[in-house]
Amino acid sequence: MHVPWTLKYKPETLDEVVGNEKARKQILQWVQSWDKKPPKKRALFIYGPPGTGKTASIEALANDLDMELVQSNASNYRTAEAVERFAGRASQYGTLTGKKRLILFDELDGITGSADRGGLRVITQIVKKAGNPIILIANNAYDPRFSTLRRYCQLIQFRKPTKTQITRHLGKISAKERIEAEDDAIGLTAERASGDVRSAINDFQALAQGKKRLTYDDVSWLSSRDRKEVIFNTLGAIFYSKDILDAKRAADSADVDLDMLFEWIYENLPHQIKDPKELAATMDMLALADIYRGRIRSTQNWTLMRYFVDFMTAGVAASWSKRSSGWVSFRFPSRIMSMSRSKADRAMLSAIGMKIGRRCHISSARAAKDVIPYLRVIFQNSDEMKAGLSGWLDLDEDMIEYLTSKK
Amino acid sequence: MWTEKYRPRSLDDMVNQEEIVNRLKSFAKAQNVPHCIFAGPPGTGKTTAALCLANKLYGPGYREYVMELNASDERGINVVRETVKTFARTRSIGEVSFKILILDEADNMTSDAQQALRRTMERYTETARFILIANYSGKIIEPIQSRCAPFRFTYLAREDVIKRIHHISHDEDIKISEEGIEAILEISGGDLRRTINILQTAASVGKPIDDETVHSVVGRANPYDVRQMMLTALNGDFAEARKKLREMLLKYGLAGSDVIGQIHSETFRLNVPDKWKIKLADTIGEIDYRLIQGSNEEIQLSALLAKLVEAGSEIKRGH
Repeated sequence: MHVPWTLKYKPETLDEVVGNEKARKQILQWVQSWDKKPPKKRALFIYGPPGTGKTASIEALANDLDMELVQSNASNYRTAEAVERFAGRASQYGTLTGKKRLILFDELDGITGSADRGGLRVITQIVKKAGNPIILIANNAYDPRFSTLRRYCQLIQFRKPTKTQITRHLGKISAKERIEAEDDAIGLTAERASGDVRSAINDFQALAQGKKRLTYDDVSWLSSRDRKEVIFNTLGAIFYSKDILDAKRAADSADVDLDMLFEWIYENLPHQIKDPKELAATMDMLALADIYRGRIRSTQNWTLMRYFVDFMTAGVAASWSKRSSGWVSFRFPSRIMSMSRSKADRAMLSAIGMKIGRRCHISSARAAKDVIPYLRVIFQNSDEMKAGLSGWLDLDEDMIEYLTSKK
Repeated sequence: MWTEKYRPRSLDDMVNQEEIVNRLKSFAKAQNVPHCIFAGPPGTGKTTAALCLANKLYGPGYREYVMELNASDERGINVVRETVKTFARTRSIGEVSFKILILDEADNMTSDAQQALRRTMERYTETARFILIANYSGKIIEPIQSRCAPFRFTYLAREDVIKRIHHISHDEDIKISEEGIEAILEISGGDLRRTINILQTAASVGKPIDDETVHSVVGRANPYDVRQMMLTALNGDFAEARKKLREMLLKYGLAGSDVIGQIHSETFRLNVPDKWKIKLADTIGEIDYRLIQGSNEEIQLSALLAKLVEAGSEIKRGH
């Protein structure tokens, strides 16, 4: 069994945390200020994206100041009663060991409406009269559920560490693990994590553990270089076989699942087949294959799969003359990339759509389609309207940023 | 949003749909409302009419007696079984003996949910009346239709839309030229929600509004261009046209049905021989049908783009 590197290299002191230097300093000062007298706001509300070191900072800080950290996270029940039991007592009295206490409510986003009803209300009450420093952590402090609680807290934002900061950190780990890693390889790993240190370290471990050397190609192709050759051979057979049986057989030897193979064919079809008539005929075959895929979905009858395969392989092969105008290399399905890239966009659209829907008596889908486009232009034009509408719709900072940015 | 700020609060304030408004007033007077279907195009006052009716019936505190559900967001059968039922069966404590449940975008409910709804409507008629709001009443199952009084909302008349624009611009202290108003009307038709959204967006520029401002903000709000995508395909660049299509679907969140609707209406404005327009309409219809059946939007629409590529090259060769 191996230890996850995220644990093995967890920061022991606050200085070791990656990025967010200013925020870390503020936390330290605030906790230390309790030594004189309890500050006006008796809780810190730390918020920011996942993997930016919020919890790690608090654990490291407790370590630094030799305090006893009492934690509650989403795995605990957080009904009013449970919270009272947990923190009510903990925040009132000192510990047996004489150590000072630091109370941490982690993963507050995870408080669910029904199962943990009342939990937030009790947390708010506890914060108001706390005798020990309390730390609250959530991804989004501006969630309307926290609006009351927020008033009694000092807010501290954690931002995504830069690629350089993460690269430096991974470099340290690879040195300790005695892995000779190319700078590019580490850089690419850091970049792919886009600010999430935890996932960067996890990825790095998956790629590098047990290796002496880590190259750029290892990272870019996730250690399976020949996968590329196999899929290229399959595509070659499908597009260029003289015998349509060969095209059909190629699907069996493919190293990817059939949906993914379909995407490869669909991506590359217009780059291989230039004649307009043949392009239309072969695209028709893919559309036909897609219809069978729909029929399989709605009837759950998987024997229909053979027709899906027929049309996307033999159907394509039989519908054109295979007079290639010269070698064109195959490319990776760009649709897959755009879909995963736009996933966050679509989630954001529907979240904003919900907010609008609540106010304007329309569904989130209609709001996303009919209202957001105009809202975007308004936000870019007029700060006054932007401020008014943001408040009225109860948008959080990410949403405002999303609507204001020009892209 | 101005659409909310200027949403009429009482039946008397509604600028259009006179007959409907009169009938609703008589319901309120009799303190009796049948189950209703409000059907008609977007932005014609269906939701407003329902809310105003409730206001007239129960007075300013009407929210207590009304539940508003959006069937597109909450369209499953469980919503009917739980939320709707719980609301419907508890007795109203006020003067009026029933509560009102407004089901917006009801044509997007699954047919299972509609079946369940039908029973609920019957069983709890004494304690709850339903107002179903839909663009197309045809998408609502027959048994429900037969239990409801139908109301057909139509696009607002030109003069009424203009009156509304004047009212709002006076209230917001913005200047708008005749040409500006014309431009808005042309784009939004009789859809008042769209009209007001465009007006507010144009006002956010912070200058007197003319037709240029209107076109510029609408263009910025809808940067995709179905016609341009079709021309790209007709010119033979399939890969580029496909990229544009993908952008509409993924980035701007358009539904395949929106795209194909626009393709269809653009087809007849294209500069291609008439016989090709008819041929293309046939293909478009086929693809539309496939989308309704649940095939993949991008794949099917791409096949259509490939047909346009083919058409373009045939036309060039003089066929």
